[in-house]
Amino acid sequence: MLSELILIPAAGAIALMLWPGKLGPKMARDISVVCLSLTLVWTLVVVAQFDPQAGGLQFQEALPWVDTIGLTYRLGVDGLSLPLVVINALLTLVAVYSSGPEMRRPRLYFVMMLVLNGAVAGAFLAQNLLLFFIFYELELIPLYLLIAIWGGARRAYAATKFLIYTALSGVLILAAFIALVWFGGSTSFNYDPTLAAMLPPLQQLLLLGALVVGFGIKVPLFPFHTWLPDAHVEASTPVSVLLAGVLLKLGTYGLVRFGLQLFPDAWQVVAPWLATWAVVSVLYGSCAAIAQQDMKKMVAYSSIGHMGYVLLAAAAATPISILGVVFQMVSHGLISGLLFLLVGVVYKKTGTRDIRVLRGLLNPERGLPLIGSLMVLGGMASAGIPGMVGFISEFLVFRGSFVSFPTQTLVSMIGSGLTTVYFLLLVNRVFFGRLAITTPSQRPEPDICLPSVTWSERLPAIALAVVIVALGLQPNWMSRWSEETSIALQLPQPTAIAQTTVSASVSATVPATAQATGQTTAAATVLALKAPALD
Amino acid sequence: MTTTQSPQTSTHPLEDFVDRLLQGEALLPDNPDNLVEVVGILHSYGVVLDAYAINLVYMAEHQFLVLFPFFKYFNGEITPAKLLRHWWHDRINYEYAEYCMRTMLWHTAGGGLEAYLDTDDFRQHCETAIQAKVKSNPLIGGLHRLFPDFLPEQVRMLAYTSALGQFWRVMSDLFMDLSRRYDEGEIDSIPAVVEHIKAGLVSAAATPITYSVKIGAETYDILPASANLTFLVDVALPYVECIFLRGTPFLGVVSYNAQAQQIPGTQSGFTYGALFADPLPTGGAGIPPTLLMQDMRHFVPDYLHRFYQKAPRGEDDIRVQICQSFQKSMYCVTTATILGLMPHAADTSDSAEQAANREHLIAWLDRLMGSRLPVVQLPSQPIT
Amino acid sequence: MTQFFIETSWLVPLYGLIGAIASLPWAVGLVRRTGPRPAVYINMLLTVVALVHGLLILQGIWGNGNQILVLHWLQVADLDLQLSLDISILNLGALELVTGLSLLAQFYALGYMEKDWALARFFALMGFFEAAMSGVVLSESLFLSYSLLEMLTLSTYLLVGFWYAQPLVVTAARDAFLTKRVGDVLLLMGVVSLAALAGSLDFDSLDSWVKTADLRPAFANFLGLCLVAGPLGKCAQFPLHLWLDEAMEGPSPASILRNSVVVTCGAYVLIKLQPVIVISPIALDVLIAIGAVTAVGASLVALAQVDIKRTFSYSTSAYLGLVFIAVGTEWPGVALMLLFTHAIAKALLFMSVGGVILTANDQDITNLGGLWSRMPATTLAYLVGGAGLVGLLPLGGFWGLRLGLDFLWDEQPILVAVFLVVNLLTVVNLVRVYRQVFLGEAQPRTRRAPEVAWPMAVPMVFLSVFTLLLPLLMDQMRLIPTWEYVNPPAVVMLVVSGIAGLAIGMAIPLQKSLSRSIQRPLRLLQDLLAYDFYTDRLYRVTVVSAVDTIAQFTSWFDRFVVDGLVNLVGLASLFSGESLKYSISGQSQGYIFTIVLGVSLLGVLMTWSMW
Repeated sequence: MLSELILIPAAGAIALMLWPGKLGPKMARDISVVCLSLTLVWTLVVVAQFDPQAGGLQFQEALPWVDTIGLTYRLGVDGLSLPLVVINALLTLVAVYSSGPEMRRPRLYFVMMLVLNGAVAGAFLAQNLLLFFIFYELELIPLYLLIAIWGGARRAYAATKFLIYTALSGVLILAAFIALVWFGGSTSFNYDPTLAAMLPPLQQLLLLGALVVGFGIKVPLFPFHTWLPDAHVEASTPVSVLLAGVLLKLGTYGLVRFGLQLFPDAWQVVAPWLATWAVVSVLYGSCAAIAQQDMKKMVAYSSIGHMGYVLLAAAAATPISILGVVFQMVSHGLISGLLFLLVGVVYKKTGTRDIRVLRGLLNPERGLPLIGSLMVLGGMASAGIPGMVGFISEFLVFRGSFVSFPTQTLVSMIGSGLTTVYFLLLVNRVFFGRLAITTPSQRPEPDICLPSVTWSERLPAIALAVVIVALGLQPNWMSRWSEETSIALQLPQPTAIAQTTVSASVSATVPATAQATGQTTAAATVLALKAPALD
Repeated sequence: MTTTQSPQTSTHPLEDFVDRLLQGEALLPDNPDNLVEVVGILHSYGVVLDAYAINLVYMAEHQFLVLFPFFKYFNGEITPAKLLRHWWHDRINYEYAEYCMRTMLWHTAGGGLEAYLDTDDFRQHCETAIQAKVKSNPLIGGLHRLFPDFLPEQVRMLAYTSALGQFWRVMSDLFMDLSRRYDEGEIDSIPAVVEHIKAGLVSAAATPITYSVKIGAETYDILPASANLTFLVDVALPYVECIFLRGTPFLGVVSYNAQAQQIPGTQSGFTYGALFADPLPTGGAGIPPTLLMQDMRHFVPDYLHRFYQKAPRGEDDIRVQICQSFQKSMYCVTTATILGLMPHAADTSDSAEQAANREHLIAWLDRLMGSRLPVVQLPSQPIT
Repeated sequence: MTQFFIETSWLVPLYGLIGAIASLPWAVGLVRRTGPRPAVYINMLLTVVALVHGLLILQGIWGNGNQILVLHWLQVADLDLQLSLDISILNLGALELVTGLSLLAQFYALGYMEKDWALARFFALMGFFEAAMSGVVLSESLFLSYSLLEMLTLSTYLLVGFWYAQPLVVTAARDAFLTKRVGDVLLLMGVVSLAALAGSLDFDSLDSWVKTADLRPAFANFLGLCLVAGPLGKCAQFPLHLWLDEAMEGPSPASILRNSVVVTCGAYVLIKLQPVIVISPIALDVLIAIGAVTAVGASLVALAQVDIKRTFSYSTSAYLGLVFIAVGTEWPGVALMLLFTHAIAKALLFMSVGGVILTANDQDITNLGGLWSRMPATTLAYLVGGAGLVGLLPLGGFWGLRLGLDFLWDEQPILVAVFLVVNLLTVVNLVRVYRQVFLGEAQPRTRRAPEVAWPMAVPMVFLSVFTLLLPLLMDQMRLIPTWEYVNPPAVVMLVVSGIAGLAIGMAIPLQKSLSRSIQRPLRLLQDLLAYDFYTDRLYRVTVVSAVDTIAQFTSWFDRFVVDGLVNLVGLASLFSGESLKYSISGQSQGYIFTIVLGVSLLGVLMTWSMW
């Protein structure tokens, strides 16, 4: 059931590689689109068969692989990874669809895109630590090449920086995994929430620390984030869409899956620090975004801010905040994907992304009016305006985290206001006013005329916008898949807020609800497994 | 919060144009593309002006002091099919004609018509007609007593409505004639276009402008023949002044904020007319000429249509392209006006006459400072 | 049948939204060969449907008490986000006000915007606007109210930004969004806190929660102030009032709604929140203080404005200041009555103002004059609107102000003075503007001033008549007290303040240009008021420059410290630039070499760990 999600793109990649004769970019793209559409359809089949009432792993598959080192091929999916798998399939399809028709070495490009898709899916599905790691590293290679070959002027620098940062992240994660199994006395790297339960607290803290930094680089969190803006600026539009939309989620997914779920006790100890770190990341990313003059860089920094919310919610680890984690990952994936697509169109049509010179692109006849309108929508969604998925995600994050970390939550909300500032600056400067793409000169110039935007360029953006609005109006469509998992993943809540009576009653009701629902579901098993460690 | 426009410089960089005009050239460069654009757009403008003129005259004569003119754009022909098309907005945008009329009325830019509307003679004619109308409508009568200037002001507006209708009648025929001559191969250059328009204006110059309205069985004069209003000096020249040069600031690009003072203090300082307007925002919000461009797009002749399709965006930005062509054609009309009003023959050898001619041209070109004249010298379509 | 209308009352806010969506084909330019008017008619039709549906519901619940409609929007874990509507007579009255004025404004726009080809977008935005406002007045849940207030912020931004190619519109739309957003983010903090603390966000449950809640005073104050902040921005109160002035760059038909019902929506939420705000001991006092400062300050600023739209937009802030005072002193009845009468009168006033602007092509009152005898409908609308706004017996404004005076009479003499001063200054301003614009000699821009066309005149006349008949309606609803409940001194004071205003307004000299006084102190005062106490400059040197400096610093820090340090210390410096040039030169061997190297490194690592 799940292997297909890796195998279909892999098969596509092999087909492209072995395709006899010359393969034009259009043909290669069409094959990839078909292959990824199949993947998306298959993903939806998985979703349709997924039992939302169960909190634990479903569709588990296991094959022995290299037993001597404890590596087995084990896959499974739960409410945390399922939406990410869907986003991965959707955004890769969008990215491949919007890849330009003329490009160098199309065969390699599309092979890399398909490999990337399969590897990311594998990482989200892997239930063996080593297997996860292999996929996590495997995804690096295509991405590195995609930036290094099809990137902008400084692509060498950006790609290398990306590779080194992420390799460092990989080393830390691998070290933590190995140590975990080593010290835990286990013979297998198979994922098991109780792996770390028997370790002494100090070891737990150390391992968690390594994982947090490792995944924090990927998220990215301040101060490990500088690879991201560089990578985005140099990467081509489809790669940016994937990088922001999908790959960053590996970091936050890893934090929850391997940090929170494996080290609940240690997590609880460091959670306040994580929450504060999240706030710093949110504010830092937002403030840096305000000062950017490159549209793409601005969106990249906004990613840093918005991924900070995920860490905040993960730190709080209440059922609502974990649901917020899932929502925010999905919503950021969709919204940043949309924004990068739109910035890409602007760049393609005007040849610049500099907000100091671009003006008036909303011009109905000669500008990019629909792109501009979607940009307004995307910016508003990102700023958390109701009616779009960004709002409910942020609301769940804030509402869920407030119970544990009221101060950090309230401060991080300022980030929501700052998001408005930079996207408004962007929209008002670039899209309002009289149409211009260069600074006005004294000499008479003919009236500017930008190339038209084709429907094939608009279609992916419109599709993403529709999903953003649909999930914003009907969050149930997403929450139902992840609700039970969120409950299963929660931590018992400390009474952080000074207001004793009320928050006590809040935290009292939380486990009660969890247990009530958990008894009939697989969540109970997780809870039961975790219970000794908690007490 | 507030910004002010930078004042225009008073040096004269348009000196070249004086020589060009004296040599019989137009303000618009003579090249095949410009010829196609100008003649083609004047053809569709002629068609649209025909509709505007008919409607303006109809409104002046048949919607006289009607407080709720629901069917003022129907020219008296109300059928269900026409009503449906009207609601579907599949029609000529007569609002633009009214906008031009109100711009002329508001600017009070001189001419005999403007002066006549303030005379006692006009007031008497007006009052007679109003009294005739009031007889059948006591509500209006009551209003007239309470607000004595309300109805006369409406009549002044109707007088302009009629006058503009009569002016456009002539212009429409003139442009259609030009188009026919082009099709027959008689017009082959921009100067020929200018010459055609100039000849048309001169021959129509003395055409009287009158307006009378039928109330009940009687006919009442509003602009009697005795007022001696004529085509050229009383309507055409004020029209050029109001519509080509002054115009009104478009809400879509200029702020009306009093503190920002973006709009000149006196109306004579306005430079928002057809020769100054920026075609780029056409089609957007708050740009009234969009209505005209929209109307003209339906009547663009094939050769011009093909020309537009060659543009980088093809038909996507046709309204901006039409606006650019329209502006070019208006420079031809302006050239015809300037040359037609020149005090002496262009090739005169008398130095005093030459000086007078020069002075005349310089005065006109002064008015064109800051206009789009330098831009229309460039080709419409970028060389890609 | 009536029950059917009540059960489907959730549709009422959706009509506007449906209209907005139905306008999209025209608004985004899919329909290009024909004009945008069908979208106009669709929107107006749906507004009529909303109006009629509202009336039918009103008829259905008349005498039967209110009904609550609950939609469980999102139920996850222990969170239950409800979108509840309270179908009560009061809320429906407000709904009728919103839809009715929206319909009139749309009718008016048909004339005012007839030359605008972007009509479809404008009406779509008006539909969206109306949908959000209808929802706000019916909402029984703070969550829903918050969401809709945000949508209102968004639609204000888009409506102010309607003429997006105009430079001042660009800044106006931005400032409108940002100032409102400041209030909204603070409100969100309050909403999130309440959601976590109280559980349910329905106003009813919040009210009962407040009675038992036991919060630390500091936090309670924070919470109360957060809740105040949202309406503060919406109602254009000090210090978040600047946007309303700038928002006057937007089209006049939208200004009609913005100055009447949009601000009302903000205040309406405040009134619903008032029982919760009492949780903070200081929030009510803050409300009163802000209200009083804004009421007097904005009235004074209005006097110094030469822009006809702006002068009345400041008057809107002033009246909403009075509403804030009423809420702060816990007299919601006064607040509602002021809102109701103000909304109608101010809408009428703005219709008249729009007529003047369209005819004269100018907003500067010093350029206008002598319009009265040529523009009957516009003049009538101005006079009736002005009369309905101030304490002129027996029109609406009088009863609202009188009620406020009555309640405040014994305990709050200072606030009584504020009410009287606002009334006086408003009268002065109305008289001043009337003399400038409608009386006197015709100026060049008003020499030819034919009355506006019927689509604009009809809503003006209709609303004029409605304003004149409003006292009868209020009497029907028993909002006008019998004589024994009237406090004669208060009435006398109110009337005297009005007469004094009239006298001052008649006496003050009029400017016929943008002249400034030659006396230095007077000139300074004039400038201070004309430029709204230099609030925009104050913002610029404080908040704006602070955010800008922090952002620039962060960016600098990021580039030179974080990135620089990393590049310096990290491995990046080893590999970056020159050394990897070979592998990027397009030779696939280079990549494969890199990959092989990477994979074997991994292999070594993995096997090493197993030894």
